Amino acid sequence: MTSFLWKIGGEAGFGIMTTGLMFSKIAARNGYHVFDYVEYPSLIRGGHNTYDVHVSSNPVGATKELIDILVCLNKDTYEFHKNRLADHALVIYDADEFTPEGGGVKLAVPFKAILTELAGQQIMKNTIAIGASLAAMGSDLTELSLLLEQQFGRKGQEVVDFNKRFAEKGYDYVKKTYLLEIKPLLTKNDGESKLVLTGSEAFSLGAAIADCRMYVAYPMTPSSGVLTTLAAWQSRTGMVVRHAEDEISVINTALGATFAGVRSAVGSSGGGFALMVEALSYAGIAELPIVVYLAQRPGPATGMPTWTEQGDLLFTVHAGHGEFPKIVLAPGDVTEMVTMTAAAFDLADIYQTPVIVATDMLLAESHGTMPKALLDSFTSGYKPDKGKTVTKADAPYKRYANSPDGISPRLIPGAPGIFYQANSYEHLEDSHTTEDANERIKQADKRRRKIVTYLKNHFKGPVVYGDSARAETVFVSWGSTKGAVEDARRILADKGHDTAHIHFTYLYPLDKKIILPLFDAKKKYVLVENNADGQFGKLLAAETGLTFADSIFRYDGRAVSVEQLVAHVAG
Amino acid sequence: MTTITDFAGYAPTWCPGCGNWGIGIALRTALTQLGMTPSSVLIAFGIGCSGNANDFINAYAMHGLHGRSVPNAIGMKLANHSMPVIVIAGDGDCYGEGGNHFLHACRGNHDITVIVHDNRVYGLTTGQSAPTAQKGYKSKSTPAGIIEESVDPLALAMTQGATFVAQSFAGDNAHTAQMIREGIAHKGFSLVNILQPCVTFNKVNTYQYYMKHVYKLDAAHDKTSLTQAFLKAREVAEEKYPLGVLYQISKPSYHEQIAHLDREKGLVGRDRFMDFSAITSDFI
Repeated sequence: MTSFLWKIGGEAGFGIMTTGLMFSKIAARNGYHVFDYVEYPSLIRGGHNTYDVHVSSNPVGATKELIDILVCLNKDTYEFHKNRLADHALVIYDADEFTPEGGGVKLAVPFKAILTELAGQQIMKNTIAIGASLAAMGSDLTELSLLLEQQFGRKGQEVVDFNKRFAEKGYDYVKKTYLLEIKPLLTKNDGESKLVLTGSEAFSLGAAIADCRMYVAYPMTPSSGVLTTLAAWQSRTGMVVRHAEDEISVINTALGATFAGVRSAVGSSGGGFALMVEALSYAGIAELPIVVYLAQRPGPATGMPTWTEQGDLLFTVHAGHGEFPKIVLAPGDVTEMVTMTAAAFDLADIYQTPVIVATDMLLAESHGTMPKALLDSFTSGYKPDKGKTVTKADAPYKRYANSPDGISPRLIPGAPGIFYQANSYEHLEDSHTTEDANERIKQADKRRRKIVTYLKNHFKGPVVYGDSARAETVFVSWGSTKGAVEDARRILADKGHDTAHIHFTYLYPLDKKIILPLFDAKKKYVLVENNADGQFGKLLAAETGLTFADSIFRYDGRAVSVEQLVAHVAG
Repeated sequence: MTTITDFAGYAPTWCPGCGNWGIGIALRTALTQLGMTPSSVLIAFGIGCSGNANDFINAYAMHGLHGRSVPNAIGMKLANHSMPVIVIAGDGDCYGEGGNHFLHACRGNHDITVIVHDNRVYGLTTGQSAPTAQKGYKSKSTPAGIIEESVDPLALAMTQGATFVAQSFAGDNAHTAQMIREGIAHKGFSLVNILQPCVTFNKVNTYQYYMKHVYKLDAAHDKTSLTQAFLKAREVAEEKYPLGVLYQISKPSYHEQIAHLDREKGLVGRDRFMDFSAITSDFI
C-alpha cells in the first residue's frame, strides 16, 4: 500500500494553489486517491501558504501529520514544518536561499539558478519544484506535460514548451544528482479513473446535474468557490449566476426565481447566511423551495475567515423566526456532496421548503477524488423529482390546499385563468391573507405534517462504517469529519484496535426510531465534532435523548486530525 | 376581454380617503388598458399599507418581506422575462429598508416597474416618519422633528442608472394610470413615484398641500436630458413637485445582456442542461 504526504509551502500570491492542484491531479491520473488541504491567511499577498496532498492507494479523507516530501519555496516552509518530517522524509529546497538545519534527506535544487538560466518569472519556481518532486518520487513527466498543455495550450506551443523546460530542468537535476535518494512513491497504480474536485466544485456539479437554473451569492470565504465555479460554467450550462448587492438580496432574488418556476440556490458562510435568515422564514411560510449552500468558518462575527469549523450547526437548524419545516444535510466527502446536492434540490421541490447543505472550509476547499464511473452512473440515473410542482391546475386553484401529507400542488405562474400569491402572511388555502384562528392552525399543522412525511419517505439514518457489534470504540460524527475518522480507523485497525463509526449526513430533522437502535448502552461512543460546544451532541440529545460521555471537540480553526483520533483510542 | 373588475380582489381595508384607493384604481386601469389579465402579470408586493394590496389586486404575486420586493421582482424577471414584473412598495419599504436593493436595481436596469406609494410616513405602524419625510417633520418616532434630509428618490434613481423615472399624484387617477402604463411599457428599470396623502397620520402633506405644490411637466421638458431631469427632481427642495415622465432613455435591460439566456423560452422554459462532460473535464 502506498500512502504519503507531499507538502509545498511558500509566500502567499506565488502560485502555491495552482501547483498543489496540479500535483493532486497528477497523483489521481496515476491511479491514486488524494485528499488535499490548504492553509492560508486571510491576505492576498504575504503570509505563509501551504498545500498538503495526501496520496494513497486506499481511499483517503484527511491530511496527516507526518510529511514525506516537503517542498520549500522559502525558508519559512522548512522552519515551520521541520518538526513534522517523517523519518527519511525528502526535503526539496534551494541551497542558494537557505541551509536547512534539522532533519530530512536534503535535495538541494537550484531554483534560482534555473530561473536565471531560462529567464523565467518567480512563479515558475513552482514548475521546477513539481518536476523535481516527480523525479524524487520515481515518477515521470507525462501527466505534468499534459497538464501544462491544458493550462497554456491557448497561448500557443511556444508558451507550453517554455513552461515544460522548467519542469524538465527540475526533473533532470534531481535524477542526475540524487539517484540514490529517489523513493518510488508515485509509480503508476492501476486505479480507476477519478475526478479531483473540491466540496465547492462538487456542490456546483450537483447543482448543474439537478437542473438548478439560478444561483445567487455574495462573495464570502469559504463559500465563494461555488459562485466562481458556476459563473465560469454559465455559458456552458445556461444557468443564470448573479452576484447580488448583499445576502438579503441574494436569497430574495433566488426566491423570486423559484416562484417564477426555476430551481434556485444561494450560498454563503455564517455571516452572510445570518443575513438570509428572515427570507428563509418567508420560504417556510410561502412554501417556496430553496437550496442554501453553507460553508462554515470559525465565528463569531468575522472570526477566522480562511479556517475551518462546524460551529454553525445549531444556528442552521434553528435559523428563521417562527416555526416551519427545514431540512439540513451535511455531506461527508466530495462524492456525497455531488449526490446529496442533487438530492437537496429534489427535497426542496418535494417539500416546498428550504434545504440547507451545510459544509465547512475543510470540505469546501480541499480536493478529494470521486470515481468517474460512479459519477457517470449517478448522472445517467438521475432525474429531477419535482414532487407536486405543476404547470396546469383547475380553477379555483388552492395554492395551500390542505392535504394529508402536508404538501399542496405548487403551480408555476403563467397558467391562464388562474392567479395566486406566495404569501408571507398567514393565509387561507387559496393564499389570501388571514388572521382566523382555525385557518392558522390548519396551515401550521399542514406545514408540520411535511416533517412527518419527510421522516417517513426521505430521511436517511446515519451510515455505520465497520462492525459496530465487534468494535470496542464507536466514533460518532457528522459532515466533513468523516474523512479523518475513516483514516484514523484504518490506522487503528493496523494497531489492533477494532473501531466502528456512525456518520450522520441527514442532520435535521432526525428520526429517533431509526437512530436509537444503532446505539447500545454498553459501548464506548466518542462524539467527534469540529466545534467547542458539541452542537450535534446537543441536537441528538434534544431529538433522541442520547448523551455522550466521551468526546473530541476541536475549535482552533484546524480540522480534527487523524493523529488526535488515533491517540484518543490508542494512547 | 379583460375588464378592470377582473383585477379586483378583496374589498380594500385602507382608511377612507387614503391615497391608496386612487392608486389601486389607476393600477387596475393601466393593466386593463395594456390588455393584461391577472394570469399574465407578476407582481411583488412589499409590506405596508401599499403592500396590503396583495389581497385587493389579482395577479401571480409574491407578498414577501418588508423592503425585499425589488429582489423578488428581479428574480421573477430573470426566470421568466416574457411576463411583465411590477413592484408595489411604500417609501419606507423601498427607500428605507430596501434602499440598497433599490439603487442596485437601478444600476442593473432590470426590466421591472417599481411603483412606490410615497406618503412620507409609516402608515401601517401608525405614523412614524419615513425616508421621504421633510426635514423637521414631527412624528411619534421623531417628536423633536426628523434630523435627516429627505431622500430624493427621483434624483437617486436617475443618477444610479434607472432609465425611466416618473412621478404622479394619487389625486389624479388618469395621470397615475398613464404613468404606470408608460412605466410597464418601458424596457428597463422604471420608477413611478406616486405622491400620496396619508389622511390618518400625515397632517402636513395633504391633498390640499399637493394641489398647491404639484404641477405637470410641459412639452418643453426634454426627458432625455439627465441635466434637465435632475434639476426638475431637485425642485423637491423648494417644495415643487413635477408630475410626468422626468427622465427616459433607451438602454438594454439586464436580462437582455445575459448572453446565454434563451431569448425565446427564457430560463423557465428552456431545456435541461445535460452535457455534463462539458464541465467534468475540468476535474480530470
